[in-house]
Amino acid sequence: MTVREAPSPTAALAPRRARVRRLRLGDWGVRLGSIAVVLLIWEFVAPRFNPLIIRSPSAIFRAFLELVGTGELQDALGQSLRELFAGLAIAIVAGVLIGIASGRWRFVYNALDPWVSALYSVPSVALVPLIAVAFRSLGDPPRIATVALFAVFPILINTQQAVRNLDRSLLEVARAFNTSERRLWTDLIVPSAVPFILAGVRLGIGRGLIGMIVAEFFVGLVGMGYLIVAYENVFRIDRMFVPVIIVAAMGIILMGFVQWLEGRVAPWLRREQ
Amino acid sequence: MATAERVVVERATKLYNAGTLNVFSELGLSVRDRETVCVLGPSGCGKTTLLRAMHGLLSLDGGRILIDGTPVRGPRRNVAMVFQHFGLMPWKRVRANVAYGLELAGAAQPTIAERVRRYIDLVGLVGFERAFPHELSGGMQQRVGLARALAMEPDILLMDEPFGSLDAQTREIMQDELLRIYQQDPRTMVFITHSIEEAIALGDRIVVLTARPARVRETLVVDIPRPRTVAGVIAHPRFLELRDHCWRLLRERVAA
Repeated sequence: MTVREAPSPTAALAPRRARVRRLRLGDWGVRLGSIAVVLLIWEFVAPRFNPLIIRSPSAIFRAFLELVGTGELQDALGQSLRELFAGLAIAIVAGVLIGIASGRWRFVYNALDPWVSALYSVPSVALVPLIAVAFRSLGDPPRIATVALFAVFPILINTQQAVRNLDRSLLEVARAFNTSERRLWTDLIVPSAVPFILAGVRLGIGRGLIGMIVAEFFVGLVGMGYLIVAYENVFRIDRMFVPVIIVAAMGIILMGFVQWLEGRVAPWLRREQ
Repeated sequence: MATAERVVVERATKLYNAGTLNVFSELGLSVRDRETVCVLGPSGCGKTTLLRAMHGLLSLDGGRILIDGTPVRGPRRNVAMVFQHFGLMPWKRVRANVAYGLELAGAAQPTIAERVRRYIDLVGLVGFERAFPHELSGGMQQRVGLARALAMEPDILLMDEPFGSLDAQTREIMQDELLRIYQQDPRTMVFITHSIEEAIALGDRIVVLTARPARVRETLVVDIPRPRTVAGVIAHPRFLELRDHCWRLLRERVAA
């Protein structure tokens, strides 16, 4: 056997990984910097306005400590998180299953597509009272259903598109190596859909949070939605802003988590980004 | 068995667009055991379609293709294909990509492990087993594609312009690799290309096709002895004659 020159593995792989890491660090710097700048401006500008309209971040932080002190915030947060996670879980399971089925089988796609398009276009808010009536309850189930309704569409549509746009050349490779239908799913369909599903979940989280607050406004008045309404009614703008900001923070944290998960579950996507 | 015919194409005809576009018609060729036949023809003349038909990935509209004496109906275990687009699964690491065909064939785990190690070594990818395809250069990606096919230890290799998308230098390196691998372990091979130099360097025979509808224009014997290297073939006195001959055959088609 002839001796051949094999390129060194570490030399070829190292520079790419390093570049990715440096980029990420810079990204985080910009993110935190952006938040800090906005908070500083807000702190500086807020005192010039009527405190019934806007309060400064430091006042909101004091209100936050008060609400934690009374235990009110923890209770409301627990309630809201329960709805959110249950609703998101349903949305993910339903969205992925329906998305895969309608992406793979033409019949399912044709049967469901008009409904998906219609429900996605209707302002979901308009359907919330209907959900409460349908459940004949002002308890958790209609609120969970609302979160699921808000969150399901981006997950469903993303999954569907991923399956429909399966790489045809890879499909041919699979056929050339005599794939079975089962292995086609595990080797090709599911892995190629994973990044799209996770992107859909990220969008779904944002919509699910909106659904959560809307449901809490309309169905039973509990959780973070209740805190917003209650303190707005008594003109405690500082306290009203606490749940608003916490919902925003939940969005940042949950979407960041999914993004992190993307890197773990789909490490092959860790290229140019 | 040395001169037995492994692949026989008889009067093969393929139509596209509801029969209005004749890709190739009445096309015939044969490939003997452990022989490399390069199919040379202009772009769009149906070379790739022919290769896919040989693997049973698409059906003919006339004629038939026999492998080891029986008509092809679908992909066979003893035939493996290498693709121009590499066809690697982006979510599988090098090792899993090489193991892919063996796993589908239901090979035992120790066999898979041993073969994967052997063929990763053969194509020069030791140290890259855990890399993802996108971390590799084009040439290295095609080494993975080659290892995946070779790991099946197929009797017949179908090569669909495997080096067509590589830069000139990488292509020559890969051609030398393929010649070296052939020397170690000769297999029957059908190699699709539109490069005359590649066809001469790799082929024992060259089947030159005409433009659409493609038929066999001429079959040339490459009488340059093995073991070969690309540089050695180009320096061989027969090379220029063969190249000019191929050129003339391909140019005729343009003039016609």
